[in-house]
Amino acid sequence: MPAKLVIQDLTHYYPDEYTGESVHALEKINLKVEEGELVTVVGPSGCGKSTLLNILAGLLPYREGLVTVDGVKIEGPGSDRGVVFQEHAILPWRSVAKNIGHGLELRGTPDQERKTRVSDFIKLVGLEGFEDKYPHELSGGMKQRCAVARTLCADPVVMLMDEPFAAVDAQTRITLQEELNRIAIATKKTIIFITHAVDEAAFLGDRCFVFSARPGRLKAIVDINIARDKRIWSEMNVDKEFLSSRDEILRLVREEVNVAIEE
Amino acid sequence: MSIANTLSVNIQKKIGRQRLRKFFLGSIPFLILITVWHLNEVFNWLAPVFIPKVSEVWEAFFILQEDCEGFSAAIVLDQSCMMSTHILSSVGRVLLASLIGLPAGIALGIFAGMSRPISKVLEPIGIFANSISGIAWIPLAIVWFGVGWMTTLFIMLNTIFWLMFFNAMLGVRSIAKVYEQSVLTMGGSRWDVITNVYLPGAMPSIISGMRMSMGFGWRALIAAEMIGGDSGLGFMIFSSASEFKIEEVFLGVIIISIIFLATDRYCLIPLEKWTIHRWGLVWKPH
Repeated sequence: MPAKLVIQDLTHYYPDEYTGESVHALEKINLKVEEGELVTVVGPSGCGKSTLLNILAGLLPYREGLVTVDGVKIEGPGSDRGVVFQEHAILPWRSVAKNIGHGLELRGTPDQERKTRVSDFIKLVGLEGFEDKYPHELSGGMKQRCAVARTLCADPVVMLMDEPFAAVDAQTRITLQEELNRIAIATKKTIIFITHAVDEAAFLGDRCFVFSARPGRLKAIVDINIARDKRIWSEMNVDKEFLSSRDEILRLVREEVNVAIEE
Repeated sequence: MSIANTLSVNIQKKIGRQRLRKFFLGSIPFLILITVWHLNEVFNWLAPVFIPKVSEVWEAFFILQEDCEGFSAAIVLDQSCMMSTHILSSVGRVLLASLIGLPAGIALGIFAGMSRPISKVLEPIGIFANSISGIAWIPLAIVWFGVGWMTTLFIMLNTIFWLMFFNAMLGVRSIAKVYEQSVLTMGGSRWDVITNVYLPGAMPSIISGMRMSMGFGWRALIAAEMIGGDSGLGFMIFSSASEFKIEEVFLGVIIISIIFLATDRYCLIPLEKWTIHRWGLVWKPH
C-alpha cells in the first residue's frame, strides 16, 4: 500500500520579510508518512519546521519538489489536510460548538448530522458543558482541546499539528499529550506533529524526524517502538525504550543547535 | 420612609441595580445643566432673549405642532405639522444615508482591507475626499442638486461612507492571519473567509466607525440643512434664529441630542454587547 503522505526532493527558499534576502529554508526533503502513523518533526528553531508545515497545509506555494497526499499533488489548502495551529486560532466570535462544527458547516453538512458529530468530538476532548462558551471564556488548555476537536471533526485525511501545546503550562501540556495519544488510538488518524520539545517528540511519535539547522535537511529518523496504549507519562519516565529514544533525539538535536550557535 | 424603601428595592429588582446605577450616573450632568438653566430663570442672570425659559422651550414643541391634523398628516410630512416634519425629515435622511452609506462603506472597506490593488485604487481618493469632507462640499452640492433632499443626503453620505470605509479597512488589516488560514485549511472559500473572518473580526473597528459616522454624519446633516436644506432640524434651528425665536433654537438642539443619544443607546450599544463584548474582543471598564 502506498504511503499516505509523500514528500520528494522538496527544496524551498523564501524572501526575508525585512531584508528581502532569499532564505534557504528546506533542502531536498524526502520522507513518507504511512496511514495511521503519528510522526513527530523536531529540530532547532529556524530549521524550517513551520515552513514545511505551511507547505503541507497548502498555505505556502512551493516550486521545487513534489508533495502528495494519497497520490494527489498538494496545490493550495484543502479539507483533506486539517491543521491545529500554535495558539489563538479558534475563532473568538464562534462558540465552542460552532468552532468545532465549522469545518462541516463550510462543507454544507446537514444540521442534524453536524450536531451529532460535534457532540461526539466535544465528548472526545472533554469539553462537555462548555458548548456555548466563547473562546475568551476558556483556559489555554481548553482552547487547544477545542482546536484539536475542530480539526478532527472536519475529518481530514492527514492532521497537521504546529507546536500545538507550546503555549500552555507544563501540567496542562502533559495532560494534552496523553489525550492526543488517546485520540490517536481512537481515531487512527495520520498525524504530523511539529515540535521543538524533545520529550514531546519521543512521547508522541511512532517515528521522529530530526531536522538539521538551516537549511533544514532530514538529518535522521528515530523509531520509537512503544505500543500506544502504554504511553502514559508515569510509565514513560522509567521506560527504557522511551528514555533511549529520547536521549538519541536529544543528542541529534543538540548537535544541530551547536552548529547553529557556531554559525 | 418604609414605603420609599420598598419602592426603591422594587425598582432595583425590576431594572437591575447595575443598570439603575449607570442610568443615575449618566443623568447627573443633565440634572446639573437643567438646574442651572432653571436657576437662570429665577435669578435672571441672562435675559430671556439669550436663554429662554424651560417652560417656553417645552411649549414651543406643541406650538409648532399645533396646526397638525393628526398622525396621517404628520407621516406624509405635511407642512402644517412643523415639528414632526422637521424631526422626521432629519431622521429620514439619517436613516437613508445610513442604509446606503454604512453597508457600502463596510463592504468596500473589507475589500480594500484584503486586497492590495483595491486599496491602492481607493485609498488616495478616500484621503482626498476625507480632507474636504463634510460641510466644505455644501456650496458645490447646492450648485449640483439645488436646495433640498439630494444636497443634504449627498453631504451625509460623503461623510458616512468614507469614515466607514477607512475603519472597516483598518479593521480587516488588524485581524490575525491565522484565523483566515484556519478557515482556508478547513476547505473554506474566499467568500467564507470574508463572512466568517473579516466581517466579525473587523467588528470592533466597524462599530467604532459606525459611532464616528453617526456623530460626524449628524453634524454634517445639521450644517447641510442649515445652508442647503428646506426642512429638518438644522433648517428649523437656522430659520428660527433668524426670526429671533430663541426657544425654537433651543428645542431643535435638544431634540437632536436626544435622538443622537437614543441611537447610541438603542442601536450601537446593543450591537456592541451582542458582538464584540460577547466575543471578548474588547474589554469593558469595571
